[in-house]
Amino acid sequence: MDALVTTSLTKHYGHREMPVHRPGHRPAGTVRALEDLSIVVHEGEIFGFLGPNGAGKSTTIRLLLGYLHPTAGSASVLGLDIVRDSVEIRRRVGYLPGGIALYDSLSGERLLDYLGELTGRPSIRRAELLDRLELSSRTLRRPVRDYSRGMRQKIGIVQALQHDPELAVLDEPTEGLDPLMQRAFYGILDDLRAAGRTIFFSSHILSEVERVCDRVAIVRRGRLVALEDVARLLERRKRNVELRVDGDPPRLEAVPGVSGVRILPDGRIDCQLDGDVGPFLAAIAGHRVTDLTIEPAHLEEAFLELYEDAEPDGDDGTSAPEPVVSAPAPPTPAVLP
Amino acid sequence: MSRTLFGHAWRSQRTKLLVVCVAIAAWSTFLPVIYQSFGTQMKTLIDSGVIPKQLTNFGGGDVFSLGGAIALGYVHPISIILLSVFAVGFTTSAIAGERQRGTLEVLLARPLSRWQVYLTLLAAVLVFIGLVLAAASIGTLIGSAVVGVLDELAIERLPMLWLNGMLLWGTLAAIGLAASVSFDRLTPALGVTMAIVVVSYFLDILGSLWPDAAGLQRYSLFHYLTARDVLGGTVDLPGLALLAVVGGIAIAVALAVFPRRDLAAPS
Repeated sequence: MDALVTTSLTKHYGHREMPVHRPGHRPAGTVRALEDLSIVVHEGEIFGFLGPNGAGKSTTIRLLLGYLHPTAGSASVLGLDIVRDSVEIRRRVGYLPGGIALYDSLSGERLLDYLGELTGRPSIRRAELLDRLELSSRTLRRPVRDYSRGMRQKIGIVQALQHDPELAVLDEPTEGLDPLMQRAFYGILDDLRAAGRTIFFSSHILSEVERVCDRVAIVRRGRLVALEDVARLLERRKRNVELRVDGDPPRLEAVPGVSGVRILPDGRIDCQLDGDVGPFLAAIAGHRVTDLTIEPAHLEEAFLELYEDAEPDGDDGTSAPEPVVSAPAPPTPAVLP
Repeated sequence: MSRTLFGHAWRSQRTKLLVVCVAIAAWSTFLPVIYQSFGTQMKTLIDSGVIPKQLTNFGGGDVFSLGGAIALGYVHPISIILLSVFAVGFTTSAIAGERQRGTLEVLLARPLSRWQVYLTLLAAVLVFIGLVLAAASIGTLIGSAVVGVLDELAIERLPMLWLNGMLLWGTLAAIGLAASVSFDRLTPALGVTMAIVVVSYFLDILGSLWPDAAGLQRYSLFHYLTARDVLGGTVDLPGLALLAVVGGIAIAVALAVFPRRDLAAPS
């Protein structure tokens, strides 16, 4: 079963936020916060949801959890309709809002008890989460107002996951966490994935998305611009290659996948390599290569490239590009000994 | 209704509730003492013409009878401020305040419908107001007993007085909650509710002190709190019904607006 499906999900706002949702009402000066978003998140995967500020990430999450009402389109979470079954969805989903605000007068322990009771499901993961995020019982007895930003974020993570939700919606989950805690958090995500839980993960930290996500969707100005496997996205990325040879330089211009060949004054050769490295290796095989560097592709470059590829569009989002949507990635071939 | 949310509201307000109950009980104890100590002298003073007669009817209360003194206690600014702690302060911060602080995000991430949240908070504020008014009645009883005028008090009519107070303050609380669910910030919700309370109070007091403005009183919700008449055995049923209708409209508005509102990310 798919954990999350959106079909042409759309949200428009008036210039001044309308106090009451009125289906079909399109005031003058409508801002299209989200336009025709269609994505599928499979059960058991960690799905990254990326985009710059104002791209529509939070709008999407808020639509899925019933904070906002869709202008058009539909969506289901765990097979439940987001409009009709919002309460049941929230029973089965854990949500970490971005920049979470907590009840300052409560102690950490009392806060987790309170939120756990409201959820109505036993907090079976709480002890494990507290242990992994190094939140001691002494810390939990202190009022939340005394907590640092990182500690608040840890409490936010615990409240979202303590009842072992089938789907966790996490908005910037590592914001404020130090590197050690970030690593601990990634470990928690790995365990959740191993246990078959689904994670819908919004982040600005691309290395983090690359580290934890199976697939990513990239939104820009309310529209989907890419939906890909992370491995596939990385594979698509041009690699930066630098090599040095003794003797005549190889003729790389005509090699499939190679572009931007430059021979520098000191004899080094620069180029970009796209896709399979086999033809490139074959082209340099007859030469005496004294140094070779192929930089690993990072998601950040792929991400930025997708943005650069996108057509500039107006505020109404009318000329956004067609999304790049990949089929499931084939097994990655081994290319180098 | 959510018992857990109700419990949270109770725990967060209980100290404040205790303080307000003690304060209003003390104030209500004081009024029979004033009546017993100064009522006769004040009546002589008024009858002498030194003080204009209009000043003997402040919002339907006076100090020349026990019923009048109790009524005066109910419309005195001290009572208004104490009851407004919950009818205005609690209600406006319950949704708009949580929204402004960002904690509504966490609350509405739980499996609670917005109706459930609203009705739980409405029940909580009605309990708080009911307890404050009960404390006022207890204070009245204690004060009357201490100064030996208990025989002048129709104790069996105190529950009707409590009900009259509940309808007035419950209606104001419903208006406060309706404002609270309609705004993203505390200030406008508080401003709208305070404006309704202050204007309503002003119309009633102005009409009670100035005969030419007496016609304005019917537009004030406070006009339908008729403590002296209730203790005297007369119940203004149309007035009570009007308070119930206004309160019902405020509840209906909140129940219509809150579930349909778009709650954008807090800024």
